[in-house]
Amino acid sequence: MAEEIKKLKFTTDVVIGLEVHVELATDSKLFCGCSTNAKGEDEPNTRTCPVCLGHPGSKPVLNKKAVDYALRLCLALGSTMAPELVFSRKSYFYPDMSKNYQITQYEIPLGEHGSLKLSDGTKIGITRVHMEEDPAALVHPAGMTGSKFVLVDYNRSGDPLCEVVTEPELASPEQARDFMKKLINILRYLGIFDINRCIIKADANVSVKESSYQRVEIKNITGFKDIERALKYEIKRQKEDIKDGQVIKEETRAWDSQYGVTRSMRTKETEADYGYIIDPDLVPIEITKEWVNKIKEKMPELPDEKVKKFMHDFKLNREDAEVISADKDMAEMLEGVAKKINPVLAAKWIRRELVRCLNYKKKELHETGIKAKHIISLLKLLEQKKITDTTGQKLMEKLVSKPFDAEDYVKKEGLEAIGDSGELEKFCNEAIAENDKAVAEYKDGNEKSFNFIVGAVMRKSKGKADPKAVRELLLGKI
Amino acid sequence: MKAAEFIQKVNSGEIDVVEHTHKVIEECKKLNKEYNYFNVISEELALEQAKAVRKNPDGRLAGLPVSIKDCICVKGVESRAGSAILNGYKPLFNATAVKKVIREGGIIIGKTSQDEFGFGGFSVNMGKGFKKPLNPFDKKRCCGGSSGGSGGITQKASFPNISLGESTGGSIVNPASFCGIYGLCPTYGRVSRYGLIDYGNSLDKIGPMAKHIEDTALMQNIISGFDKKESTSLNIPVDNYGSGIGKDIKGMKIGIIDFGMGDNVDDNVKKKTQEAIDKLSSQGAELKEISLPYSNKYGIPVYFLLAASEASTNLARYCGMRYGAYGKLEGSFNEYFTRVRSASLGDEAKRRILLGTFARMAGYRDAYYIKAAQIRTKMIEEYKKAFRKFDALISPTVNILPPRFDEIDKLSLLQIYTIDTLTVVPNLVGAPHINVPMGLVDKIPSGVMLTADHLNEGKLIQIASALR
Repeated sequence: MAEEIKKLKFTTDVVIGLEVHVELATDSKLFCGCSTNAKGEDEPNTRTCPVCLGHPGSKPVLNKKAVDYALRLCLALGSTMAPELVFSRKSYFYPDMSKNYQITQYEIPLGEHGSLKLSDGTKIGITRVHMEEDPAALVHPAGMTGSKFVLVDYNRSGDPLCEVVTEPELASPEQARDFMKKLINILRYLGIFDINRCIIKADANVSVKESSYQRVEIKNITGFKDIERALKYEIKRQKEDIKDGQVIKEETRAWDSQYGVTRSMRTKETEADYGYIIDPDLVPIEITKEWVNKIKEKMPELPDEKVKKFMHDFKLNREDAEVISADKDMAEMLEGVAKKINPVLAAKWIRRELVRCLNYKKKELHETGIKAKHIISLLKLLEQKKITDTTGQKLMEKLVSKPFDAEDYVKKEGLEAIGDSGELEKFCNEAIAENDKAVAEYKDGNEKSFNFIVGAVMRKSKGKADPKAVRELLLGKI
Repeated sequence: MKAAEFIQKVNSGEIDVVEHTHKVIEECKKLNKEYNYFNVISEELALEQAKAVRKNPDGRLAGLPVSIKDCICVKGVESRAGSAILNGYKPLFNATAVKKVIREGGIIIGKTSQDEFGFGGFSVNMGKGFKKPLNPFDKKRCCGGSSGGSGGITQKASFPNISLGESTGGSIVNPASFCGIYGLCPTYGRVSRYGLIDYGNSLDKIGPMAKHIEDTALMQNIISGFDKKESTSLNIPVDNYGSGIGKDIKGMKIGIIDFGMGDNVDDNVKKKTQEAIDKLSSQGAELKEISLPYSNKYGIPVYFLLAASEASTNLARYCGMRYGAYGKLEGSFNEYFTRVRSASLGDEAKRRILLGTFARMAGYRDAYYIKAAQIRTKMIEEYKKAFRKFDALISPTVNILPPRFDEIDKLSLLQIYTIDTLTVVPNLVGAPHINVPMGLVDKIPSGVMLTADHLNEGKLIQIASALR
């Protein structure tokens, strides 16, 4: 009944709600001392102990650091914190479960009633944030469907997870993607998520207007790019099925990233009953005001605060400030570069050129190895007009492939801008002499022909001339 | 010989511990053929330990034979909680209590027989392939349960010894009563449960079973204390639990639980309880009847709902993967798990899994599991209120004398469950309670139960010592 009433509120073409599982970047697992981090080759079933293997007699002990991290997330999302941390047992049989129950939170999640703002300004409600342990990993040696047997690797068993559940307030796959991106960014700002090793996975509830918003759950979507893909596929599937006269059933479907499709796993009739009980091995822990305050005091700067800081201290416009803050690495890069370079110039080059080159190479900043010193070296040359913008752009492209010191490189390759007007004048005279046709056309009022002559000078200088200076010189001569 | 006297002789070198241990193991083997007190006799470990103790005989339990209920993990010794589903399981670690015993020079002689996973009060709900322990006074009768093997060996052995039992709803005091020994079930959280194979985690407690009150106190002193590996263990200093032995109990207020002397109680049991009451009274204790209506009415249903709910989740992990019994890998994982569990678990284990799973299912959870948890809180309040007036409560431990196996066969399931009426409530409350042996009636033992407020084990032992 409650769900029926809720459905009536929906007006958008598509309604999406997400349950995002975030692996927290603690050193040890949620209930034992095993390492969460593979050192070198991660031999299967080496980072295990009786607790995360579910051996009889073993008992869980809570990793407080994981709670600190989860509290940081709750604060960042503006959630109301529960007075106590209470864990429950969620019972179901599955080969990846060391105890055939998962220690999770049920009745009282750690955080409730939070929100997150999307790039388009939409505020998405966060229903709950809770903590739980990760099951083991199932390894299908010959793929999902082709394997005769399954191997279980318990290295992941017991890793700390935070589940973030949104209200059904996302209206498109693009919004869902943006949500994931924003969330990942916040997690990284908070220092509780390591993009190089932590897994982020989502289950999505999606429904369309045509079916009167009949909910379908899509399981196991990894990363923000796949969220958009999976949802686009599923919405299309639902709409086409409806057109074909089929009824959308309440069901759970699995996302197959390899084939880009969703497949039915189970319908509501066979939905598991998890039989939750309070985990009697773990005592409830009071979330005291002092504890929360301690976390608050040590909260790192969040994207919104960065925007304000960039606008106020660096005098950036809002758009530049927002774009740069939306990526933690980018924001830190700007802060590093701005120590030596005019922040407005730095912001311009980071936001336009660096982003352009990254997009072109389909790389994330953290994957390139570019440090602030590389950008400083490049921008110093620009600031001192030792190289032209054109050279700067070319160098940026090269940096994204493999970082190097721009100053050394420019010297070695002789890419300094031609500042000496004697040489430049020589190039101009030559260009005028060699292109008398274009000169004549320009004199007849054809602006394009002037640009042609400028181009000729630039070619002679191998891009090292300042186009502005060239134009001035040429105007004086023609 | 009391344990302390024996240990002193080991400390001084008067007793050769290796020689003694050999004899002990031989006697255990002989007894076991007749009485089935052990699932495993850990001869190798015992002799290895004995040699170590001979070199370093200073421990507080030096050379003392200690038997361990099967559900308490001993490193490298098959530990099955009396269930075939754990066949072949040798723990990689010692339970904290076992570790402490070994550290003090106690010799681990074996794993004692029990109802499968602790599911019973007679030690007749044996796992598949396990034998029932027989009462040391009459082999036609049961030992009580679920720590039946511990009760039997402690009584029957000719050598000084102590056992570590485990109680969820009365499994220490009940067999202690049926076997005529002391059995102390301490405050919940006083002894670490690390290494205890779970039945109902919010109820399970490890405690000593011994022939003498001094031995009981000695073992309680050793196994108590905080354990950072076990979240529910209490970080509160440990008393010397034996310091009150033989001290005056004059002026102590003791409540007589009214339904402990009610219609459902065997006349011989009542008679023995009255003897205890008179004995305490004659030493100047003030005894007065007390009524505990919540506990009387709801003890059994609340206990079975909560214990079974927890048990049904605890037993889920036994599925033929990772350790213990396994089967031929065929069919889907569900089929495989079902096959292994169906073949290896006994009837009572299956019944409690079904009961517990039902009680926590959506739609029934609020009416059973949640309500039971709420009533448990009421019982705690009822007991806390009682302990504002009384130093301890007294009642029979079990309402009947140890029954014969043929009598047990005739009992209905409900009759069997209600045998626990007097013992489940202190277990639900987490309050320490002790069985005090009151001697024999028609050549079979009877006992009374004393219950005190949380962490008052010392006071319990003091009052128990007044009943000698």
